[in-house]
Amino acid sequence: MKNYIYIAAIGLSVMASCKKTAFDTRERTSGNANFKHYISVGNSLTQGYQDGGLYQEGQSMSYPSMIAKQMAMVQPDMDPFLQPIVTGNGSGYMHLEVINGAIKPVKPTDPNGYVEDASWGNWGNAEKSKKYNNLGVAGIKLIQCVNLTTTDNTVNPVILGGIHSILLNQDGNPYARFMNFGESALLPGGDAPVAYLEHVKGSEATFFTNWLGNNDVLGYAANGGVENKPFTAFGIGLDLNALSDINEFTDKYDSITRAFHDLGAKGVCATLPNLISIPYVTTFTVDKLKTDYNYTDIWITETDGSTVRKATSEDYVLLGASGSIATGVGRSQSNPFANGEVLDVDEVTAAKNHTLALNNVIRTIAAKYNYPVVDMFTYMDKLSAGFTFDGIDMNAQYIAGGTFSLDGIHPNPRGYAVVANEFIRVINEFYESNIPKISIGNYRGVKFP
Amino acid sequence: MKKTIISALFLTSLSAFAGGFQLNLQGIRSIGMGGAYTGLAYGPSATFFNPGGLTQIKGHQFNLGTNLVFPSISLQTDAYDNIDQTTKMATPIHFYYGGQINEKLYVGFGLNNQFGSSSSFSDDWQGRYIVQNIALKTFMFQPTVAYKIHEKLSIGIGAVYTRGNFSYEKAIPISSEASDYGKARLEGKGSAFSFNLGAFSQLIKNDKMELGLGVDYRSGMNLSLNGGTATFTGVPSSLATTFPSTTTFESGLKLPSVITAGLSFKYVINEKSEITFAYDFAQTNWSSYDTLSFDFKNEDTPDSKTVKNWQNVSSHRFGLEYKINKLRFRVGGYYDQSPILDGYVSPELPDATHMAPTLGFGMEVSEKISFDISYLSQKYSREASLDAAGFSAKYNRGVDVVGFSLTVKL
Repeated sequence: MKNYIYIAAIGLSVMASCKKTAFDTRERTSGNANFKHYISVGNSLTQGYQDGGLYQEGQSMSYPSMIAKQMAMVQPDMDPFLQPIVTGNGSGYMHLEVINGAIKPVKPTDPNGYVEDASWGNWGNAEKSKKYNNLGVAGIKLIQCVNLTTTDNTVNPVILGGIHSILLNQDGNPYARFMNFGESALLPGGDAPVAYLEHVKGSEATFFTNWLGNNDVLGYAANGGVENKPFTAFGIGLDLNALSDINEFTDKYDSITRAFHDLGAKGVCATLPNLISIPYVTTFTVDKLKTDYNYTDIWITETDGSTVRKATSEDYVLLGASGSIATGVGRSQSNPFANGEVLDVDEVTAAKNHTLALNNVIRTIAAKYNYPVVDMFTYMDKLSAGFTFDGIDMNAQYIAGGTFSLDGIHPNPRGYAVVANEFIRVINEFYESNIPKISIGNYRGVKFP
Repeated sequence: MKKTIISALFLTSLSAFAGGFQLNLQGIRSIGMGGAYTGLAYGPSATFFNPGGLTQIKGHQFNLGTNLVFPSISLQTDAYDNIDQTTKMATPIHFYYGGQINEKLYVGFGLNNQFGSSSSFSDDWQGRYIVQNIALKTFMFQPTVAYKIHEKLSIGIGAVYTRGNFSYEKAIPISSEASDYGKARLEGKGSAFSFNLGAFSQLIKNDKMELGLGVDYRSGMNLSLNGGTATFTGVPSSLATTFPSTTTFESGLKLPSVITAGLSFKYVINEKSEITFAYDFAQTNWSSYDTLSFDFKNEDTPDSKTVKNWQNVSSHRFGLEYKINKLRFRVGGYYDQSPILDGYVSPELPDATHMAPTLGFGMEVSEKISFDISYLSQKYSREASLDAAGFSAKYNRGVDVVGFSLTVKL
């Protein structure tokens, strides 16, 4: 009888220890979309720029590369997602160091800075004939992507591709160097210019994400509304920091979207984030300068460059002014923050209204071609206010907030993962696909020393 | 004997089980009958179930038992098809003594693990910033007296001394050149006093049938974890003032009071066989577990406060026992409510309102020795979120429990 008890006991134990609760692998589907050849267009955010630079590790964690990795789980025959990756430090980038007991951001130009890689000066020149999937170009404006006028044909190849070396040996946008923009119509004997749009047309995209347009506002906001006319010498007088003209933006956004449409590609368009929610703008609020930096009054220069007045809570001293704050600028009427260091109330309003107007254009054109929109304006605002993912608290506080990189404008890898997840959410919803979300915690935040 | 118990204690790691982290595994006969025992309260395990029932004991009786708890818990999230907890088998134990001093006075002693929970995940799992490993173990020591007020009514009371150990590990989302995240480990132990009060009435007792009624109240307790140790590893050196390699913390676990009312009915079929039915209704006042806080001594370390917002819950337990000669066959089941609301479900303890079946078998090996085994199987699913952490998942939970006990009558 005792033996029966033993057998029953052992039998039950063996049975019990075998219980399985594992979930079946979900069947993956690309739904109504085809992710075979995914192309991303956009600017610095799309290229993987962060910490004030384009560097190998950062670029390898661009949000399009994260999306592509997830897409491949749904569509295993997807083409490899190729990015024009820089070597090592690339352009050079910011990092944190402990200086006099405090954690401080160190720029590439500062002592101990992470300076540019030796290969950086030539980076991309050998890549021009290659076809990449990530067509993000730091600094590019939407209005530079399409050549509609003679001015466009003259100026855009210069801005993006640089001026013919024989003539002036002047570089264009170094981050655009991996693409061929032809030669400016301005140059004697110059080849025909090649617009960014032509690269889109030749991309063979079956799917795209389009997050172009940020620089059509950002250049203005990040420079405190100051004009930047590097090419006035040619009598063109194009202000690189200007808010882009709405009609021009509309026509050109249509051209880019239509190009994808004509390829038969599915895809998503993203709106532009509210710049007044990024640490670059919100770190040195008037309150913060008074409480943390012992300012009594804060003196700023208005847009006209000459009117000096006390700042109110609606004016923002930009993160780029941190050096000036350290040397006591802005404490007296005779030593105010320069116009370029401040986004004053008028500029804040102008930037915000412009962002809203451009976002309306993006929505209208996306709807015209039946593409869904990732509402990054609302989403980044929510994120900036504070959000928790998988136990990680994130907000828009500079350095400590865990979302943005050290430049205060671009997310860090963890922040980019959150952005990628929002794209994935919209793609899945609209195209009835089920791309798995990204586990945010698999990506790092800001690196502390 | 003492040595065996102590070594068993060290081996014990408890799995989250039944209604929050209350362990309803305190007697093998009871488990076989769906956990109902307050109105039966027979044998030394009455010390726990209803001290008033100790007055049914003749002579001196000892009961030693253990359960092998095999947990299998899986998660599915937006990011992963399947994540398995790596929680290992747990072995909660119980030991009871009950003895008769004179016609009216009885004594008892109990040692068991009434609350416990242990969950493990691989260190780099998706929710690592919520929890990597967590374990709570409690040991209750309960000296007890029971008094027969009347032929049909007895009361009993036990003083409960509880020792608890708590440990908790989670990742810290701070990156450095060396690592993408750091780790916090909190360890604390503490003690608490409470009581267990029960009344038992054998309303009918004759050759043909017995009717028992019982009510039991176990008070809540505040298990303080003051002076616990927090260890931070893999944290960048520039943040060592915020996350020092070690500091201490103050915390406490408010464990719930439990009130149970039960009845039992025995019918003697013939000389060889009889049948017994038992039913319990229990309420566990989990609203005590409203928050879990850790206040760190190091001022720069951010204090942690988690809102649990658990609810009072009730359960129904019922069982049948058929006795033939020296063998007893048992079958039962229970319905347990989960104290955890949607929005507060944490991945280490994906509890859900559920029903579960139980089986049991007992055998009198001799006049003095009997042996019991039980089997319990939980299987349920829940889809819920932990809103404060921004985490949601589907959960599958399967727990099998095999119990053994030995009763000796002197």
